[in-house]
Amino acid sequence: MILFVVILALLGAGIVAWASERVLGKDAPRLVSVLAFGAGLVWSAALWLDGADANGLYAAMDWPWIARFGIHLALQMDGLSLLMVALTMFLGIVAVVSSWDEIESGHGFFQFNILWVMAGVVGVFTAMDLLLFFFFWEVMLIPMYLLIAIWGHEEKAYASMKFFLFTQISGLLMLFAILALVFVHHGATGEITFSYKALLGTEIDPRIATYLMLGFFVAFATKLPSVPVHTWLPDAHTQAPTAGSVILAGILLKTGAYGIIRFAVPLFPEASADFALWAMLLGTVSILYGGAMAFSQSDFKRLVAYSSIAHMGFILLGVYAFNELGVQGAIVTMIAHGFSTAALFMMAGAIQQRLHTREMSQMGGLWKHAPRMGTMTLFFVIASVGMPGLGNFVGEFLALLGAFQENWVMAVVATAGIVVAAVYGLYLMQRSFQGTPNPDIASMPDFGLREMGVMAAMMAGLVWVGVYPQHVLELSSATIETLGILP
Amino acid sequence: MLEYLWLVPALPLAGFFALFVTEGKLPDKIVAVIGAGSVGLAALVALGAGIEFVQSGGTSYAQSLWTWMAVGNFTPSITLYLDPLSLVMTGVITGVGFLIHLYATGYMWKDHEEPQGYSRFFAYMNLFVFAMLMLVLGDNLLVLFLGWEGVGLCSYLLIGFYHRDPENGYAARKAFVVTRVGDTLMAIGLFLLFRELGTLDIQTALDDAGQLDGGMATAIGLLLLGGAVGKSAQVPLQTWLPDAMAGPTPVSALIHAATMVTAGVYLIARMKGIYDLAPVAQFAVAIVGLVTLLISSFTALTQTDIKRILAYSTMSQIGYMFMALGVGAWSAGIFHLMTHAFFKALLFLASGSVILALHHEQDIFKMGGLWRKLPVPFWSMLIGSGALVALPFITSGFYSKDAILLTAWDHENAGRWFWAGGVLAAFMTALYTTRMMVVAFLGGTKTEPHDASRINMWGPLVILAVLSIAGGWLTFSVLDDLIGAISHIPHTHPAALATIVLPLLGIVLGWLVFSGRLNVATWVESSAGNAVRRFWQSGWAFDWIYDRLFVKPFLWVARVNKGDVVDLAFRITAAITRGFHHVGALTQTGRLRWYAANMAIGLIVVFLIVASV
Repeated sequence: MILFVVILALLGAGIVAWASERVLGKDAPRLVSVLAFGAGLVWSAALWLDGADANGLYAAMDWPWIARFGIHLALQMDGLSLLMVALTMFLGIVAVVSSWDEIESGHGFFQFNILWVMAGVVGVFTAMDLLLFFFFWEVMLIPMYLLIAIWGHEEKAYASMKFFLFTQISGLLMLFAILALVFVHHGATGEITFSYKALLGTEIDPRIATYLMLGFFVAFATKLPSVPVHTWLPDAHTQAPTAGSVILAGILLKTGAYGIIRFAVPLFPEASADFALWAMLLGTVSILYGGAMAFSQSDFKRLVAYSSIAHMGFILLGVYAFNELGVQGAIVTMIAHGFSTAALFMMAGAIQQRLHTREMSQMGGLWKHAPRMGTMTLFFVIASVGMPGLGNFVGEFLALLGAFQENWVMAVVATAGIVVAAVYGLYLMQRSFQGTPNPDIASMPDFGLREMGVMAAMMAGLVWVGVYPQHVLELSSATIETLGILP
Repeated sequence: MLEYLWLVPALPLAGFFALFVTEGKLPDKIVAVIGAGSVGLAALVALGAGIEFVQSGGTSYAQSLWTWMAVGNFTPSITLYLDPLSLVMTGVITGVGFLIHLYATGYMWKDHEEPQGYSRFFAYMNLFVFAMLMLVLGDNLLVLFLGWEGVGLCSYLLIGFYHRDPENGYAARKAFVVTRVGDTLMAIGLFLLFRELGTLDIQTALDDAGQLDGGMATAIGLLLLGGAVGKSAQVPLQTWLPDAMAGPTPVSALIHAATMVTAGVYLIARMKGIYDLAPVAQFAVAIVGLVTLLISSFTALTQTDIKRILAYSTMSQIGYMFMALGVGAWSAGIFHLMTHAFFKALLFLASGSVILALHHEQDIFKMGGLWRKLPVPFWSMLIGSGALVALPFITSGFYSKDAILLTAWDHENAGRWFWAGGVLAAFMTALYTTRMMVVAFLGGTKTEPHDASRINMWGPLVILAVLSIAGGWLTFSVLDDLIGAISHIPHTHPAALATIVLPLLGIVLGWLVFSGRLNVATWVESSAGNAVRRFWQSGWAFDWIYDRLFVKPFLWVARVNKGDVVDLAFRITAAITRGFHHVGALTQTGRLRWYAANMAIGLIVVFLIVASV
């Protein structure tokens, strides 16, 4: 019940934000957003402190929706969902603050889209009915498309269309797979249902199971994204307004990872096990290729975008190792990458707003003008390079350690990725904030209290996950056990 | 005091934190107090803990703080572990570290290149000391790895401290990336160790190491050696250290001479139980040491930058330590680590005073005649040089180097070769050290010095000078008990005599050549002599090879594939679709005749198909 209310509240807040611009002026919408996400964050924290019930759930509901086809409004929050929802709410605040005075028109509609994306994301993280899941999957897509298409940068039309087509076509494959799975289940039991729990453990012919699994996998791998279906990401991230990039990298990519952990693997365990080697290979290739591509870029934002592909490779590698170390590593990576990349995109946006360029050849020596921004960039670059003591290290180390138990060759090759990460990460730092100050830049305003507050929260988050990841690990371990993805 | 062991790393961390959150807004004097004071307090706590530890007579003391992460049976805990080995390391890090911090409060004062950087400098330095302490005190390889990466990070930050010069940035990144190659090997070693033994706790792993089969032990030993050569600048990952001299001189003294670069030695000594099972890996350690000490001592002879001379000298001295570990002279290796920390820190700090007095002049050929004008730096350099060349009986360097070379002589395989290589390098050491001293301090004055150093700068020099002499008289029974005694060849044995005499010959030869009393120009200036000199000067062409083997191909791929070749498939799909669109659009002419004709043709085709079926 409460989950449904929360999703409706976010949708409602979107409408309020949109309307409030006319009534109260352009400052009102972003305040509405911050309040909505803040309330959501407090609510998630309260759920966490309250503890789970005997089934390991923090909230659950199940109402019939289209009873004739066995479609339910089934929502449920376990440890993993709670983690992801809390991250969503937190990054919602970050997104709004990062675009605080970036956009020039349509403030209300902008916040409307942000709130609706996030409502869809919360739905995706809690849906327990496959059709409902698909519905939320689409709800995320349209507002995100609009965010890029309306408030994006110079190539927004191309980038938004590319994002839409990649997501939509791969989503279509997932829809086919969902329907086919329901038919197979109907054939076996005579019952039409889209319920996740009912469909778990459906007896499927192995050959068909492989195809259906691939239908899910392609949709999630595109969202993640994994090489070779990653090419929408650099365009979409680069062209999106800062809030859009923060949401895309911080949370939308994680819906792909979540989908693999929640759906693709548990629904088709045998097919996934047979596919594991290929998935790990895709992960390894993503780590190295994404890293090398990141190094090639001269656009600050595009570099960070490609680095996301590399980081997401660790998730594939960890999940398909099918051991606790690997899966936990993947989940911690999801959280840590949410913080570190959101911060770096916020930085990219802040630089672009100040210098009107993302080209690193036109930066250089920015530390002189903005030491706070320099320090923050340094911190988050170091985090994403995988420094022990910060969250990303815990995730990536566990993922590699888990993968090594399963397939040491793959893990060894993937470990080389941490050298590549150092190469592109430090090069980013060098070309933007270090080096000879660019004489064309007379001055650049540094971060103020508002930005530093958000940055400090993200730093604290990374240190927390890096030094004492137990809170995260405990939340997710309960889910991992119930998912039955470990042998 | 033992129960306060956690304060030893916590104090420098607190110092870092205080300097970090105040964003450089504190007055410089307070920064100095926090920066040097936090390390000084840590040294006092370490001293107290060390005294109590030795008095208690125990072999080890562990203090568990918390479980870092717990996933299944992987439960690395943050535990501090004190034993003679980590006690020696902690003493060096906090003791020598404090002296260097104290010196740096003067060296970095009103620094003209980076006037706003005082607080940032000490923040990085404090963070470094914390990370280095975690490295040596960690009872778990993952905690060790935390320190390991942490010191690498601080090394990067401090090499590139003067970040406006792109060359410093390049040197910093080179150091980080090259050592990270080693770190990667080490990480793989940890994965393998965990797979085989199910733990990364060092003591548990060493206790269980007997379960490893020989091949696995060798593989783990070699992978850890990979990490060690990166951090300790040994062949083949040594190329970053000379460039690392771009950092301020106290950084070179602390990180690139006394502490971080010896982390590889510590790692191998710490994992002795693995190497005992893997003679091949241990032999590889000795070979790495031998090759490095030879290559770098020849290179040092050709450098003109005083800091680069010292950098190559550091590489070769760490080569001695590796060779010591490889031939089984475990305690001699750690002994040399300690004495080297004293005299090399002294040499770097003294050279820093010279450099500062000459307004950042580092070329020894532009110095000259400084011995009268800079007495404290000169005498410090002289004492440090004496220890470096191992002047017999009166310097600490003699006792440790002598122990290494004589134990090498005893080694069953190839011991004579190790000894001969080590003695040759000792001769070269004497030669290049004499060259440095004669050229920089004797002869006529070329640049007028202005020494403005106060007690916070010359005080540490004096203390380190005393330690460089007296450090060798400390008996090393503590370590002997733990990891095997050193050789007891009498000093009348021919090998022992040769070990003593060759460096003296090197000093004499060096003095004759570089003070101009012996003319060797015809050799040096010949084309062959020039070629050899250039080859040595380039560090035996390692940079050149790596540049062509790794850097250039990577840059080429990055340039060629900037547009992402994978996207081509999607762009082609889009282009084909657009092509269909254009072709289809051509048929939309708006002319009724055209539509009617098309319809007629279409109908005929349909009829024909139907009729033919």
